[in-house]
Amino acid sequence: MDFTIRAATLEDCKDISRMILELAEHEKVSDQVKITQRDLEQDGFSKNPFFHGIIAEVPEHHKSREGHTKVGYSLYFYTYSSWKGRAVYMEDLYVMPEFRGKGIGKALMSKVSQLGLAAGCTQLNFTVLDWNKSSLDFYLKQGCWDVTSDLGYHCMRCEGDALEHLAQGDL
Amino acid sequence: MANFNLRKAEPKDVPDILRLIKELAKYEEMEDQVILTEKDLLEDGFGDHPFYHCVVADVPAEQQRSLTGYSVIGFAMYYFTYDPWIGKLLYLEDFYVMKEYRGFGIGSEILKTLSDTAVTNRCSSMHFIVAESNKASIDFYKRRGASDLSLQEGWRLFRIDKENLLKMSAEE
Repeated sequence: MDFTIRAATLEDCKDISRMILELAEHEKVSDQVKITQRDLEQDGFSKNPFFHGIIAEVPEHHKSREGHTKVGYSLYFYTYSSWKGRAVYMEDLYVMPEFRGKGIGKALMSKVSQLGLAAGCTQLNFTVLDWNKSSLDFYLKQGCWDVTSDLGYHCMRCEGDALEHLAQGDL
Repeated sequence: MANFNLRKAEPKDVPDILRLIKELAKYEEMEDQVILTEKDLLEDGFGDHPFYHCVVADVPAEQQRSLTGYSVIGFAMYYFTYDPWIGKLLYLEDFYVMKEYRGFGIGSEILKTLSDTAVTNRCSSMHFIVAESNKASIDFYKRRGASDLSLQEGWRLFRIDKENLLKMSAEE
């Protein structure tokens, strides 16, 4: 199937927002999505964006059952490793279920890799849920390795009240 | 003791930042993994679009002479990331206080500054990774209300290194 991979624009935020919700539903946590289309427009397309996006688009005659031609996306941003320097973090990678198995996910990830390398990055990082077997298999096949498993690194979070207390110096 | 000053890192701090990065890596038994240079740190942290931000803890001259000979004795490296469900986050990349200066509240004060930065920048959360073998650090963070997303929600950190990145980027 024909598809194109390109940089996301402000106009894509409507479809990105739609697909973010679809991905959250796939991970069974759609009630946790607080970010709106407007937030994405402000946070991703202002002078100092907090993320970048790429879109997978199919021609009109291949549009989805509901009439969408934007059928996949990836959100990424630049991070820094105190050991290796510049790195790229792939926050989201998603292809609509009816468009899977056609190399679109791989093409999106390839594009993020290209952009990361062009920016001087030496590694691409991302997280996967341990029950998401099809994704785990896909990534391992691309030459990725499981840092949590191999090095025992756990992802930690400090949020809400805990973050507020920490900011106030309470213990 | 406990006279110390926390401030935003400046270009002149780069040699100390690299020294402390290597000390922390040594503590994690990963010293040979650090390939970053002072030049990288300078370019990447103090240019037009910094890849990272740093706060450093320094002590006055009298104290540095008596203990270690250094005035910059702790640091934290962080940057802003994004979660498309909840928005901006602060990511803590490195956080370290020299052994001789621990137990004086310097670490807590650094964390307080960072949390304050997170809240001021309207970040809903502070994220970081810890090695599961580092029990002292895990306890330090859990005492302050941090949760382990790998254990609680099943998140696994994946990585693809340069060699495979090149292969992947060449695929059509």
